[in-house]
Amino acid sequence: MNYTTYSYLLLFLGGTFLLYTLVPQKQKWIILLAASLFFYVVSSGPLIVFLLGTTLSIYLSALWLDKLAAVQSLVKKGAPKEDRDTLKRHILWQKRAVLLLLLLFNFGLLLFMKYFGFFCHNVNWLFAFVGLDFELPLVKMVLPLGISFYTLQAVGYVVDVYRGKFPAERNFARITLFLSFFPQIVEGPIGRYDELAPQLYEGHTFDYERFTGSLQLILWGLFKKVVIADRANALVSAVFDHYEQYAGLLIALAVLAYTLQLYAEFSGCMDIVTGSARLFGVGLSPNFRRPFFSRSVTEFWRRWHITLGAWLRDYVFYPLSLSKPFGRLSKAARKHLSKHLAASLPAIAALFFVWFANGVWHGAAWKYIAYGLYYYVIIALGMLCEPLFAKGIGLLHLRRESAGYRLFQMLRTFLLVNLGMLLFRAKSLSAAVAMFGSLFSSAGPSLIQNGVLNTPGIRLADFYVLLAGAAILLIVGILQERGIGVRALIARQPLVIRWAVYLAAVFVVVIFGAYGMGYQRVAFIYAGF
Amino acid sequence: MEQLLEILEDIDPTVDYRTETDLVGDGILNSLSIMTLVVEIRDAFDVDITPQDILPENFRSAQAIYALIQRRQSEE
Repeated sequence: MNYTTYSYLLLFLGGTFLLYTLVPQKQKWIILLAASLFFYVVSSGPLIVFLLGTTLSIYLSALWLDKLAAVQSLVKKGAPKEDRDTLKRHILWQKRAVLLLLLLFNFGLLLFMKYFGFFCHNVNWLFAFVGLDFELPLVKMVLPLGISFYTLQAVGYVVDVYRGKFPAERNFARITLFLSFFPQIVEGPIGRYDELAPQLYEGHTFDYERFTGSLQLILWGLFKKVVIADRANALVSAVFDHYEQYAGLLIALAVLAYTLQLYAEFSGCMDIVTGSARLFGVGLSPNFRRPFFSRSVTEFWRRWHITLGAWLRDYVFYPLSLSKPFGRLSKAARKHLSKHLAASLPAIAALFFVWFANGVWHGAAWKYIAYGLYYYVIIALGMLCEPLFAKGIGLLHLRRESAGYRLFQMLRTFLLVNLGMLLFRAKSLSAAVAMFGSLFSSAGPSLIQNGVLNTPGIRLADFYVLLAGAAILLIVGILQERGIGVRALIARQPLVIRWAVYLAAVFVVVIFGAYGMGYQRVAFIYAGF
Repeated sequence: MEQLLEILEDIDPTVDYRTETDLVGDGILNSLSIMTLVVEIRDAFDVDITPQDILPENFRSAQAIYALIQRRQSEE
């Protein structure tokens, strides 16, 4: 069930909201659970067994870890001093074994479902390369809806219980709701148990302001997805799917259009799902914070797909950086290297795994691995060269906080991100390399033909709508960067103006939405991950 | 506390760590510099700081970091 369809918005979401509002407070979470399971079965059918399997695994392992933690605290208090260390080590070993089992089960499932085909394909290539006449069967698995997202959320929950952040949930139905909550099952945001679960179980009564605010956010998300992203898709597909026919500025235009498409689509989806969750009084973690105003690639990733970055930071980067091998590496670096290198190198080593994981998480293809490593190289070089940059800035008498320098940094980041987008959207790694080369070629059709702008795949009128949409996103972004909330600004206007704006927004989505005859329905890109 | 201030000043000598109360919010410490800091603290104070201690509230100020070190020392 797609979040932009009438069946979701009017029938499913409307019906669930009505039921949620009508039932007593204590039973409201059961409505959310029933709706979430219904949503999953309608969208993914019998593959719900995978979701339930993961839920059961985290439910049992968290309870087990809780029991071990209770024994651990008893040992701390009551065991004789001479036995204490041995017992503590033994319990720690058991806790680690439980966690390892859980990780193996869930990541094993994810790896098998998502990467088995990729693995076979590469093994077959290797066999052919060395002249062996043997082929593994190429099986294309149908992925359970949201498996990449809910697996991370599930693992995060158990690791937090392992770390003693909060006790395990004792009610299986409640933990099922935490993992399957319908607004976030398709594309995230990847939630944290301590932030999300209490809101899900609490039960909220109807609130008019929350209700209208939620609808406005959904409308804004629909605008981004249906008016901008789905329209840009035709241009993007035309060029990326037949990249051999294009070169130069037309490739650049398609890359820019894809950046716009992905941002409008993913952040639009987040607006729709955040609005959907807010109808029930549930606040989801923000996933975007105007990423194109970032001054560095590192900052960009703190503002783009925030919950994925935070997950990788908390569950990959921190444990790795604080592990014994990295501690030893850090010590050795401090003994033998300069202060700057000694501080940077251990972090750079740990970041490799973060960015490799980021790339692999996005999909089973070499281009995604290259995508993760592309950002890794930029960030690592940035860290290593920081003293050089500082020297250069000093020599040129540049002020880091001046408007001109900030704008330069933003444009530089935007350029680097767009090159990353080329890699991300290209049909393959070799296609990405070819497209990058074509950027500097003038072969193929030109951007202006017979005095008219050439916009592959879409009409000129569609292109102007796209431009207007991008301009609206930019203006709203600038206002928000300055601390001006657009919805709050509209809410302060007199009734007539307020409703004129809302109705105009509805008409814009209905009239300028890229759907129906001549347009292709576009599934959410991140839902495919 | 003096030893901790020395470590912090090594990271960025331009900051007055005695008065700064939002090291994380003001962008003086980020996830990378926190890791460098933690490795140095573990060595200097011989305490075990684990991933679950890496919370903004534990690194908001020199006092908060020192309180974390003392907590860990008392547990060992």
